[in-house]
Amino acid sequence: MKIIFIFTLFLLLSPALVQQNDANAILRKVEQNMSSDNRVFESEMTIRGKRNSRTITSRSYSVGDKKSFTEYLSPAREAGTKMLKLENQLWIYSPSTDRTIQISGHLLRQSVMGSDLSYEDMMDDRKITDVYSAKVAGEETLDGRKTWVLELTAKVADLAYHRRKMWVDAERYVPLKEELYAKSGQLLKRTTLSNVQKIQGRWFPLNVVYKDMLKAGEGTEFKMTSVKFNQDIPASMFTKAALKQ
Amino acid sequence: MIAIQLALKNILGAGWRSLLNIAVLSLAFVIILWHNGTIDGWNQQARKDTQEWEIGGGQLWHSAYDPLDPLSIQDAHAPLSADMTRLAGQGQLAPILAVQASAFPQGRMQGVLLKGIDPEQKVLKIPTEILQKNPDGALIGKRMAQALKLKTGDALLVRWRDSQGAFDALELNIAGIFDCNVPSIDAGQIWLPIERLQTMMNLPGEATLMVAASGFRPAETSPWVFQSEDVLLADLNTIIQSKKGSGAVLYGLLMIIALLAIFDTQVLSIFRRQREIGTYIALGMTRRQVIGIFTVEGSVYSILAIVLGALYGGPFLWYLAKYGWAMPTGGQDMGISISDRIYPVYGTGLVLGTIILVVIAATVVSFLPARKIARLNPTDAIKGKIQ
Amino acid sequence: MIRFLIKGILRDPNRSVLPVLVISIGVFLSVLFSAWFSGVFSDMIRLNANFSTGHLKVMTRAYAENAEQMPNDLALLETGSLVADLQRQFPQLDWTQRIRFGGLLDVADAEGNTRAQGMAAGYAVDLFSPGSREAERMNIMPAIVEGRLPAQPGEALISDDFARRFKVGLGDTVTLFGSTMDGGMSFANFAVAGTVRFGMPVLDRGAIIVDITDAQSALDMQDAAGEVLGFFKSDQYEEAAALEVKTAFNARFQNDDDEFAPLMQRLNDQNGLEEYLVLSKSMSGIMIFVFIFAMSIVLWNTGLLGGLRRYNEFGIRLAMGEEKKRLFRSLIIESVVIGLAGSVLGTALGLSAAYYLQETGLDFGSAVQGGSMMMPTVFRAHIGAQTFYIGFIPGLFSMVLGNALSGLGIYRRKTAELFKELSV
Repeated sequence: MKIIFIFTLFLLLSPALVQQNDANAILRKVEQNMSSDNRVFESEMTIRGKRNSRTITSRSYSVGDKKSFTEYLSPAREAGTKMLKLENQLWIYSPSTDRTIQISGHLLRQSVMGSDLSYEDMMDDRKITDVYSAKVAGEETLDGRKTWVLELTAKVADLAYHRRKMWVDAERYVPLKEELYAKSGQLLKRTTLSNVQKIQGRWFPLNVVYKDMLKAGEGTEFKMTSVKFNQDIPASMFTKAALKQ
Repeated sequence: MIAIQLALKNILGAGWRSLLNIAVLSLAFVIILWHNGTIDGWNQQARKDTQEWEIGGGQLWHSAYDPLDPLSIQDAHAPLSADMTRLAGQGQLAPILAVQASAFPQGRMQGVLLKGIDPEQKVLKIPTEILQKNPDGALIGKRMAQALKLKTGDALLVRWRDSQGAFDALELNIAGIFDCNVPSIDAGQIWLPIERLQTMMNLPGEATLMVAASGFRPAETSPWVFQSEDVLLADLNTIIQSKKGSGAVLYGLLMIIALLAIFDTQVLSIFRRQREIGTYIALGMTRRQVIGIFTVEGSVYSILAIVLGALYGGPFLWYLAKYGWAMPTGGQDMGISISDRIYPVYGTGLVLGTIILVVIAATVVSFLPARKIARLNPTDAIKGKIQ
Repeated sequence: MIRFLIKGILRDPNRSVLPVLVISIGVFLSVLFSAWFSGVFSDMIRLNANFSTGHLKVMTRAYAENAEQMPNDLALLETGSLVADLQRQFPQLDWTQRIRFGGLLDVADAEGNTRAQGMAAGYAVDLFSPGSREAERMNIMPAIVEGRLPAQPGEALISDDFARRFKVGLGDTVTLFGSTMDGGMSFANFAVAGTVRFGMPVLDRGAIIVDITDAQSALDMQDAAGEVLGFFKSDQYEEAAALEVKTAFNARFQNDDDEFAPLMQRLNDQNGLEEYLVLSKSMSGIMIFVFIFAMSIVLWNTGLLGGLRRYNEFGIRLAMGEEKKRLFRSLIIESVVIGLAGSVLGTALGLSAAYYLQETGLDFGSAVQGGSMMMPTVFRAHIGAQTFYIGFIPGLFSMVLGNALSGLGIYRRKTAELFKELSV
């Protein structure tokens, strides 16, 4: 018993463990900011193509990380298109054809609306702290703000990104930059977050730029124009029937 | 025998007019041999190439695998049984794991198929020994190299998801570019050592299909389904068949011309040699014998044509068979195996068959006008009266 | 005199019927052979031109770089005015827009949910414009297994294999899910007007053929197209003329650095067809030469025989005091008349047979089951300018030459010996 106690104490005091605890503490604080029971937000997504750029506005409802429902508002061509995600299934409804199409298999790899985001990027919905083990790799100053640099490594095998690097604002506990790596260490995607606002008592970055590092181009800008947390969303919204309404 | 001697005398006596007929018939003979030989050569080459490079002695496919349906590939893999692993070790089976991935040449995304194969395999001709020397490298075909503008030593960024869905990406180093005539193992494909791909995919010991060594017929055990050579070569058989058909029209027409010449000559010679015919009959020959003489004359034409054809066609055909003749690569984009040089093959059956065809055809067209002799009145004939 | 000779020819079947018959058969064969041969050799060229390369093709430079990926995001814009421009500047060609696209074909259940899905290989061609020959070029009519051509917007042809596999019937709706030119989501419903089978695995898996305007609205490509194809109005690929058009067109954008500037390519420049063209030209040249040579020998022989056959007649005519020169001339004129008659008849017959083979073709692939090839298995003859005159070479020229050579014998005959020869 005594031995176990000393051993535990030793473990607790070991620097790595302390660091890991710190990292996990930071992540928990980040999650308090970023996650919510549910949220409703409106956004503008700007996709810069080689020849022009387009802005698509949408309104999204989500409950936890498992269910989400998005309705596209503009441009006219996309207006009324709805997307429903339940667990790991994805459907898209188009009003012009009055059809609900399931997106599966390799179609998930396609980019959403020509952006640097693929459908499958939207599919992983587990809590970061559940699936990654984190440690603090250092401190950096990013755009004049002090950040913790966290290194996240997958604890489970079935994660899209094996390793992530996250720059977390040391004061407000929101990520300001994130890099997603392949198992091989290849940098795949970079996310830059900005315009951090205090909304309903929590810090939240309203602007995000996604960049697929393997593709040429400038990336996709995602701006949230309104965010509301803990709203009253009817459960019927997350059914296929709701897509047609 | 006398008929043949007479025929020979008559033909040679007609001098260069006969020679013209013989020349045309010999041309038809040589072209038939050349055309069929080329198609047979191409057929053999294409089959051989396809067998050596792609299908081996048949393939065991995972039941979900459908090479034309990219959606099927994701789920079409299973572990090898102990038996199969043993056969693979003995060189009887070459397991291949196929994985869909995205390549990023010049910043554009393009779908590719990663294929894992044992670098030590000897079942297929793919130069996997290059992978033995460069276990970190990848092997591509010349079409793929051309499409993605790659050369040996270049790096190509490839992204895939392993069996559990984790993204992974690597810069593959192009260790070698192989040149083969089979587009279906080249276009859009990247070859890697199978164990490496299995590790990359987290699918140890699994494969999508297995290529059997020539002459080896593996047992079918679920989920593996055997695809025989015949099934896998069905497409090739179709074109060979259609090529043969279109060729037959070609030399059919040529044969008709040659036969027309013989027919024409024969009609005239019977017309001009009525007195001769009358004399034969008067000397006691039966009409059948006389018809025989004239018919044999036609056959002798064909034999002389074959001899002449052999004289100039022999070296020509031999030269082609030895050195081949260049074939443009245009057809390769259409997905069939065409080598850039075709070596005609002249089988005994082809040569004998053509000889028999030419002789019979010439004999028949000689016989047709000769039938007139049967109706000939010998007294009138001997007087040279035109009938 | 000519009328007299013609009368003579007509009244003596030995002089007319047989030689004319032989010549017309020979000319018929020559015409058919040359038409067949150029047809067989140009088949692959035609297949490529019609399905993919056109005789000339305009793309943006960026599209051309990655043409095999069908990158519609790099498509040509303002194609309406581009096509009008091309029509005006190069009226000898027929210019038409095409879009090739990928995507997913989705079949709905009763509730409008996905029942089945398959990959689609899309072809958008001009089906509706009056006078458009695109359906013919794509060989659609013979490929239709069931149903008919789309006749109004919102109709499509889909692959017969796909229709069978997913139990889609005529009149059913399929949804095309793909991406627009900008990368947005594209949805379009199409009523199945018919099902097609081309005998090419790529297309037979999941082809969908729609009118260009339907594709432009579905893919948000208004006034845009991946490719603008030009076809010579004669339907014949004319290499040199194509080069002129290409050079003239590309010169206009020589100083333009824009990667989306239009670029024109000839058929030769695409799909590695240059080598094939070179070979097919030399091959068909050699083969037609060999054939015409052989035919010439045969008809020359006929001419020779014709002269010999009339040995006695000439003897009598000489004995009666006809001048050798006049006799020879009459022989030549006769042979010209016979050769002409035979050549015209043979060419007419040959052309009709070639026309039949051009339109109907001979299918050598259907005998083999289970094959599916990206190669033509139906072979067709091809009528070109050459088809009209080629038969006259053996028919007229060789015939006359043969007659002339045998006629030279006239000059060798001695009047003194004539009666001796004729007395028997």
